[in-house]
Amino acid sequence: MAGSPDPGRSRLESIFSPQSVAVVGATRVPGTVPYDIFHNILKDDFQGTLYPVSPSAKSIAGVKAYKYILDIPDPVDLAVIVFPSSVVKLAMEQCGQKGVKGVIIISAGFREVGPAGVQREQEIKDIAQKYGMSFIGPNCLGVINTDPNVHLNASFARRMPAEGSIGFLSQSGALCTAVLDYAHAKNIGFSKFVSFGNKADISDIDLMLSLKDDPATKVILMYLEELTHGAAFVDAARQVIHEAGKPVLVLKSGRTSQGASAAASHTGSLAASDEIVDAAFRQAGVIRCQTIEEMFNNAIALAYQPLPRGRRVAIITNAGGPGVLTTDAAIHERLELAAFSDRTRDVFKRSLPVTANIKNPVDVIGDARADRYRVALGSALEDENVDGALVILTPQSMTDIDTIAEEVCNVAAAYDKPTYCSFMGETDVASGIGILQRRSIPHYVLPESMCRAFARAHDFSIEKDRRLTPAVRFSDVDTAAARQLLDAAIASGRTYLTPSDAMKVLEAYRLPVLRSAVAQTAAEAESVAAQLGFPVAMKVESDDIVHKFDVGAVVLGIETPAAAAAAYATILANVKAHQPEARVQGVFVQRMAGAGDEVILGVKRDPAFGAVVMFGLGGLFVEIFRDVAFRIAPIPLEHIRDMMHEVKASPILTGARGRPHRDTAAVEECLQRLSQLVVDCPQIQELDINPLIVRTQGDGCAVTDARILVSGAGHAP
Amino acid sequence: MDRSEIQKRVTSVVAGVLGIDPAEVLPASNFVFDLGADSMKSVELVAGFEEEFDIEMDADKAREVQTVEGAVDFIADYLK
Repeated sequence: MAGSPDPGRSRLESIFSPQSVAVVGATRVPGTVPYDIFHNILKDDFQGTLYPVSPSAKSIAGVKAYKYILDIPDPVDLAVIVFPSSVVKLAMEQCGQKGVKGVIIISAGFREVGPAGVQREQEIKDIAQKYGMSFIGPNCLGVINTDPNVHLNASFARRMPAEGSIGFLSQSGALCTAVLDYAHAKNIGFSKFVSFGNKADISDIDLMLSLKDDPATKVILMYLEELTHGAAFVDAARQVIHEAGKPVLVLKSGRTSQGASAAASHTGSLAASDEIVDAAFRQAGVIRCQTIEEMFNNAIALAYQPLPRGRRVAIITNAGGPGVLTTDAAIHERLELAAFSDRTRDVFKRSLPVTANIKNPVDVIGDARADRYRVALGSALEDENVDGALVILTPQSMTDIDTIAEEVCNVAAAYDKPTYCSFMGETDVASGIGILQRRSIPHYVLPESMCRAFARAHDFSIEKDRRLTPAVRFSDVDTAAARQLLDAAIASGRTYLTPSDAMKVLEAYRLPVLRSAVAQTAAEAESVAAQLGFPVAMKVESDDIVHKFDVGAVVLGIETPAAAAAAYATILANVKAHQPEARVQGVFVQRMAGAGDEVILGVKRDPAFGAVVMFGLGGLFVEIFRDVAFRIAPIPLEHIRDMMHEVKASPILTGARGRPHRDTAAVEECLQRLSQLVVDCPQIQELDINPLIVRTQGDGCAVTDARILVSGAGHAP
Repeated sequence: MDRSEIQKRVTSVVAGVLGIDPAEVLPASNFVFDLGADSMKSVELVAGFEEEFDIEMDADKAREVQTVEGAVDFIADYLK
């Protein structure tokens, strides 16, 4: 079913590789979807048997038509339904009776049009379930399989793409046609090309997992508009990347963050949906792309060439300026200019003109012909200090562009290292670029794109082999106590836990909560403060006051019993003055944390991804710079460390510019315990630990304030 | 007009507009799925019924009618 991690491989077999196809609802009118679908399958040389099913036509394009699919005498593997939505259920019913296993429903007019469409979609899902049929769509462009043994273009795209090793899955049908046109111009082929529309049955996740095991597919590209089963998507992507070693590149639209402003906590407002998607993709190893161009720039690098084993590149150019541009771009992408071995330098000295620059970037000089490129590229790739080559060409009058392109392809093919090219220009270099593209050398209009693609390919080569330790499960936690506090708050109709209860929940998971107590009188505040030990902080305990600082209900640095009594009176007076209607349960007295840097830890429960954990430095860094990182719980230690490094201000914790090195190991443990808490307690909707004071290395950290927002919707596992 | 007369005249309009043998037009026939009416033919069918029965049909409601039997019921309501 949609969104489940069920691989659905066999379910997709009849859709991707049918022996026989019926187009149900075909017509004789060219230029209509029902005709074009049939005609595309016919003209693009489908290797199986094709049947038109039409209530009104005796034949279509010279092929005998059947009134009903039930009239076809032979078995049918795949039905492509092109009827209007109002009668798709009738067609589905007959497909079921016929024993069809796979269906593509092209027709629109379902979930995307409102309640009536939702009902129609449910009806076809019910029929599919009754007969054990699987279907793609509705509301889609169709499916293309370029495998020469199948060669199925069951779509209304204008053209069948060339065979290739890229699998493309799209939620948008219209984008598919644009992508096909773009790819055609760049000689990019595909293994499978699927528009999955409303994904009422077969989901994006099913399709991704089917391409994981598809030998023809080396790289998976996806265009997504929504991620309804985010956690399952992340699991599936992780399987594809880490088990099959295939990269997954996603162009995800809808980057805006409605609803973030309505969130109740810091974490809620910072964890906009798109930032969570970013974090989830990073956690899974998915390469997120911002544009179609970026997606294909990365895809051709990953699909055509060996993965770089390191970041050391050799730049070979016939032009100084572009060589410098490429160097800048390479450094920007954290690539390194390879230091050539003595042997390589000797070859360059012997083979290149004296005016040539034999350091990296290697300038073979503007009048270079194919022989110089051959020597320079071959020697560079031979060098063990080089992980890949970036070849630049500008078209001078004597530049034999096509021959150079052929030589680059020949040399590159002899090495298990990547070679990418940028033949700069447009008209004069077009033929040479065509040679490179047809022979699977990635070509880039701009050196910047080339360097970015190299960097992403290297990132992927590391990611695919990365082995993560499972998230730690601490055994010293008291889950029952935490759940009891949360359930009690829900039962009493609270949205937030009281500060003292929030601290108790964290204490149950052994987070380093500062000692505290609630005082009901000034005298009690005096004695409680004395018991906790000075200095103490005091703040009002009230469900009705969220921003306690704003109403003067917080006093810090209280050093004496008398000051504690005075603070008690001040806090109550300020509350009465600023928020007289607030219900007050007492004054919360807490031992002060001592010196350290402030960080914020948080949780937000996302409907698609589940519990999302946040880390950031406190104060301005969170409020103004939104300098925070997210991960989906449970979080392996490696990703906890990654998220701490992702925060730009993190060097503040690690001794930057003579500052004390803070106890980052203690923060890691807090994040691990927090991750376990939110996995164990689905009642927690949002949580802020703000601030967590991080002391000097070895001295740990301290939770000084926490807010927990609960909801009874979740159930403990 | 009795129901059998409406049925007979509906069958005649349908066969004429869609260019099919009246014997193929059964009460349970779905205009699109069984008789192959596309959106243009559906408009022509509504016009044909209006002319045949001298009625003016609600276009939105008429579009919801899917079968010959449904059309007979729909038209009978107008003729009451």
